Amino acid sequence: MDVALRLPIKVERRLEVPASVSATMTVTFLLLALLFSASIMQLLGIDAVSVLVQVLSVFTTWELLTAAVLRSVPIGLAAVGLTVSFRSNFWNIGAEGQMFMGMFASTGVVLLHAYYGLIPGWALLPTMAIASFVAGGLYCSLAGLLRSKLGVNEVLTTLMMNFIAVLFVDYLVYGPWRDPKGYGFPLSIPFPKEARFGGVMGEAYEGLAILAAVAVIVYFLMTRTTFGVDVKVVGENPYIAGMAGIRMTRTYFLVNMVTGGLAGLAGFFLLSGIIGRLRPRASPGYGYTAIIIAFLAGLHPLLALPAAVFMGGLIVAGDVLQATLNLPFAAVQLLQSTIFVMIVVAEFVKRYRIVWRW
Amino acid sequence: MVEVSWIEGVLALTVQFGTVYLLASLGEIYAERSGILNLGMEGMMIVGAAIAFIFTNALGHVMSLLMVVLVGALMGLLLAFLVVTLRLNQVVVGLAITLFGYGLSGLLTQQAIRARIMRALNPDLPESAIVTQQAEALRALKVPYLSEIPVIGPVLFSQNALVYFALVAAVVMWFVLFRTSVGLAIRSVGENPSMADSLGINVFRTRYATSVVVGIMGCLAGAYLFIGYQPFWVEMMTNGRGFIALALVILASWSPLRAVFGALLFGGVEVLQFRLQLFGFAAQSPQFVLMLPYIVAIVTLSALSIESVRKRLGVPEALGKPYYRE
Repeated sequence: MDVALRLPIKVERRLEVPASVSATMTVTFLLLALLFSASIMQLLGIDAVSVLVQVLSVFTTWELLTAAVLRSVPIGLAAVGLTVSFRSNFWNIGAEGQMFMGMFASTGVVLLHAYYGLIPGWALLPTMAIASFVAGGLYCSLAGLLRSKLGVNEVLTTLMMNFIAVLFVDYLVYGPWRDPKGYGFPLSIPFPKEARFGGVMGEAYEGLAILAAVAVIVYFLMTRTTFGVDVKVVGENPYIAGMAGIRMTRTYFLVNMVTGGLAGLAGFFLLSGIIGRLRPRASPGYGYTAIIIAFLAGLHPLLALPAAVFMGGLIVAGDVLQATLNLPFAAVQLLQSTIFVMIVVAEFVKRYRIVWRW
Repeated sequence: MVEVSWIEGVLALTVQFGTVYLLASLGEIYAERSGILNLGMEGMMIVGAAIAFIFTNALGHVMSLLMVVLVGALMGLLLAFLVVTLRLNQVVVGLAITLFGYGLSGLLTQQAIRARIMRALNPDLPESAIVTQQAEALRALKVPYLSEIPVIGPVLFSQNALVYFALVAAVVMWFVLFRTSVGLAIRSVGENPSMADSLGINVFRTRYATSVVVGIMGCLAGAYLFIGYQPFWVEMMTNGRGFIALALVILASWSPLRAVFGALLFGGVEVLQFRLQLFGFAAQSPQFVLMLPYIVAIVTLSALSIESVRKRLGVPEALGKPYYRE
């Protein structure tokens, strides 16, 4: 009487995911994400084909590609930092706030130079880089400390700290840091030439060089040093990490300094490489975009580079769509969100395989 | 000299503003009590607001609220499918839903798209109803006799239907959560899912149910923000309030009744910020006042890490963890 329906397939868990499968899955699900967003747009009566053509045009037109590369620098820097943090199982979603702390620190350095003459012009860029790195890193460490010492969930604290940082920068540009010659607009003084990128080979490629250097350094840090091993062990099994004598608080502090520091550096580049002065809400959620990039790159610091250029391209595509098809930036947000979900679905599917049995 | 009518005005506004947070946090409390950390609240709210905007002008308040509930349930099902069935990372899914909500609401309300949807819904609609960024607000319903009482009357008994709904929902949801077997099931699923499973509680079905609840309440909160509080459409008009609701859930330590007080507190902060600005007080730096909800949330979280406090207030132990049935 036992007539159970037997399917000729069985789903098995993989022990190991071959790189070829991994890459195929990521690409397949990226295409699925495009298809899904396109069908929603088609449902809303938007010509999805022309939207996709416009998005593609960003990657085939030299000027637009340069713009995409420029945008990819801040989001890529933050994303490289996040790969470290996520590998250590520290769920830092505070890159946005740490970016704002980086902007705060680099603007502070500029003001010290402009108002008090404390820092010579040639030292501006390096000082700003260090200051923003430290500011972002310490801000992230605050959440790390709360987790190490009190066991406070870092997802919630880093999220809340984003809004605090945004409001803090708001306060500065509406208040004490407002440009006295700025006709009352909430803007800092424009950064002097010495505090801007673009002197050597254009902002985009100087930024790309920095991003590439940082990605390589982090890659070596993760693969060639004990710190990298510690991070992976702590992330995969904190119990074994404790047994192995890894000092957790110290490891997490270093992780926080790297991930928050790189986000701070991203804020520095956003001002010195792109905007040129501090203004409220200078980052329209780039810290969250960085999370998507980190996942798209499979938490690999080197892969974060192409992933960042891809997402930077989507941001530029948002402007293009607005100009050509009169579509709001929302079209890109829709695309980003489906890509985000599809990447993690791909991660999920990768771990299984279908076995035929007859 | 501060007049009584000024205080009445501030308090009534506090209740109206607090209702946004109350509706959202009530839903979030149910989700988190069952172990689902829903960072998609902001996205649910903005979609609710967009649906309310389009449908109120096309078909009126009742149809609009029905549609909001339907869409909310669908968003809840989406959340549950991703985090319960596929067991994807809740942080990722939540952030993606927020981004998705921003995208969807922005597209739905774009001039041409909105016009097409509204004409399909109601072919007789005049052009003016399609172009406008506004909609008719929900009317205040005065409770007979009670609304005559000074101070309390205008503050509590002269509000619109959604305000009453939120207050009643807080009491009912508290009762269900702490005094019924359904509530016990929800809490045990969030506390120790495998134990709950072995006691015969269906973990998956319970989490699906609470996801639908958070979807509906989140979308209602957004709809209320639009037709109940500020019936003028602005893109991304929720402006991070979904995240304040998350902070509120922590402050209320996952209790629907404490959420009422938290909502009034956060609502009051926001109202006072506007009012005090008019007086020239705190006009220089309103940002520090606006930071309060987030700072309060972090301090509360830290206090909750103390073992005795944790035990007494009941932080869901399995919050954010997917359940694998072995």
